[in-house]
Amino acid sequence: MNPARELPQTAPVQPRSRLGGLNPLRTVSIAWRAILANPLRSALTTLGIIIGVASVIALTAIGTGSTANITKSLQSLGTNLLTVSSETNTRGGPGGLVRQGGPQNITLKDAEAIRALGTEVVGIAPTLQRNAQVKYEANNTSAAIVGTWPDYASVRNAQPEFGSFFTEADNAGRKRVAVIGYQVAQDLFGSSQAALGQRMRIAGVSFTVVGVLPDKGNSGFATPNYNVLIPLSTYIQRLGRADSSGVVKVSAVFVQAADKSQLDDLKNRITDLLATRHKKTDPNDYDFSVQNQADALASVNQVTQTLTLFLGGIAAISLLVGGIGIMNIMLVSVTERTKEIGIRKALGAKPRDILMQFLVEAFVLSVGGGILGILAGFGLAYLAGPALKITPVITGGPILLAFVFAAAVGIFFGLYPALRASRLDPVESLRYE
Amino acid sequence: MKTPRSPVVQLHEIHKVYDLGEAQFEALRGISLEILEGEMVALMGPSGSGKTTLMQIIGILDQPSSGRYVLRGQDVTELSENERAEVRNQEIGFVFQAFHLLPRMSVLENVEVPMTYAGFSAAQQRERALGVLSRVGLSGKERNLPSQLSGGQKQRVAIARALAMRPALLLADEPTGNLDSKTSTEIMGLFQELNDEGTTVIIVTHEPDIAEYTERIVRIRDGRLESDQPNPNRKRVTGEVYR
Repeated sequence: MNPARELPQTAPVQPRSRLGGLNPLRTVSIAWRAILANPLRSALTTLGIIIGVASVIALTAIGTGSTANITKSLQSLGTNLLTVSSETNTRGGPGGLVRQGGPQNITLKDAEAIRALGTEVVGIAPTLQRNAQVKYEANNTSAAIVGTWPDYASVRNAQPEFGSFFTEADNAGRKRVAVIGYQVAQDLFGSSQAALGQRMRIAGVSFTVVGVLPDKGNSGFATPNYNVLIPLSTYIQRLGRADSSGVVKVSAVFVQAADKSQLDDLKNRITDLLATRHKKTDPNDYDFSVQNQADALASVNQVTQTLTLFLGGIAAISLLVGGIGIMNIMLVSVTERTKEIGIRKALGAKPRDILMQFLVEAFVLSVGGGILGILAGFGLAYLAGPALKITPVITGGPILLAFVFAAAVGIFFGLYPALRASRLDPVESLRYE
Repeated sequence: MKTPRSPVVQLHEIHKVYDLGEAQFEALRGISLEILEGEMVALMGPSGSGKTTLMQIIGILDQPSSGRYVLRGQDVTELSENERAEVRNQEIGFVFQAFHLLPRMSVLENVEVPMTYAGFSAAQQRERALGVLSRVGLSGKERNLPSQLSGGQKQRVAIARALAMRPALLLADEPTGNLDSKTSTEIMGLFQELNDEGTTVIIVTHEPDIAEYTERIVRIRDGRLESDQPNPNRKRVTGEVYR
């Protein structure tokens, strides 16, 4: 018997074009309701993404903030600056004992020789430094006492806010005058104005305050707020100890060039000069170093940028872990809602309709987590900033990156559960209890 | 009597074999059946007879292993998954024993589900859903959740949902299985009314009492057609049940 004979002519099914399809708003609303059906579970799932995004934003904000901080504080210590300091000579020098303050191989005579180099040197300030107690009446505080030349004011960007810097005459006359940092003035006299003209004691020696520096901030390192600046010759006489041979050694010499373009040339000339003076021929043998401030800035920047990237990377990994959490919960959700999937398929849902439903749900979870994470990141950055003495710098880049990454994580980890849902067999799903 | 009538369902030599790994189980062993437009048919058989498998094939939830199935002139035997979803959506209205409503959605939204998959506009969905809900006597319950309804009301929501796409065929699988006898009678009355209005209805049941409400009783046993007879003693539910 021929089965075809008994059947009428049939036309192939024309795939109907679906103009509307699933309304996206409707899909999102369905997803939203499914998420709200298990509020605790959804919240815990999203937490992974929230923490990930928040930490990316907070950590990069603090990293960028600290970079900006260090840059600023380095710049506030002077521009077009070369620093000449002693270098531990690895081949020579006494071994065993660690001398306090490190080796001091630069002498005052070296500084005078550098000053004589020429007009490129617009300012020079050798420094000697030690910590000492500073007293005024019943108040006392610990400060870094710096003996230096008057050029220090311009070379190290240390113009007093009140009063004036000590002069060449003060230095020559070994006057007991001092320019004090902002915090020293606060601690001893209560205010900067009150400090002017007062007499205070540095390690028991009486000094007159002639200038007070502006507030340079407590952030960053080497804050000048706790400095007390006095003439170098006064320092040597009152606080220092000359070598048995009478040679005066200094901690560092700051040299300011007229122009940035002269820095490299000047650096080479100073190096040659000191090598000759110290009778060193092999650069490995040099017992001093000449550093360009720009070099220091660049290396600090590089370190903090690497650190920022590193922190951001760790945070990104936590985002990935958050994504796995979403996948896990979506797989559970698909299993739990097998029956719903069966019903929807019986009512005409195509695999891609089911796929979209679950994908959108994962997407809403991750994007919602992303938005909450951005808010939490802002909060975290501004809470942690003051504690770390860093002003966080939040830029658009990390926010966008974290958000897009969170959304991508949602789609990526939502895809597999959604695909599984879309491939469920309607008969078996309807039977599922 | 209604004037005949083109065939809605045409089954020819339908076989369904389940592969159980080592053994094979032949659930359907060559079923040929024709159901005409406007008929109200009971599909009966004891459990294990293959009536559920047959229902699933008629509903295009499942595919036969061999044979041909023509639904309202379209050969639907070998369609892709997407095409089958579309035919289910357009031509079949399912009513299940356990109602199968979506628990988190309101009555209105439940009825709208098949129309969302058909790409209807929100306004169209709303209008039609309100219409079919009023038809099954549930006006005023649109905002309720299924959990707030009685069994009979739930089944009427399911029927409204099945009617929403104006399908060629209403396919009810044990529609009164979870209902008491009074509510069962009401639901069968509703099916009769819908049938009187021209809807083709297939009721899958193992209860002779329920089959008595239909005009034709098809019996399946061991995967074969046992009998296919008109039901001259058809019971009528008198009076309009819900309106």
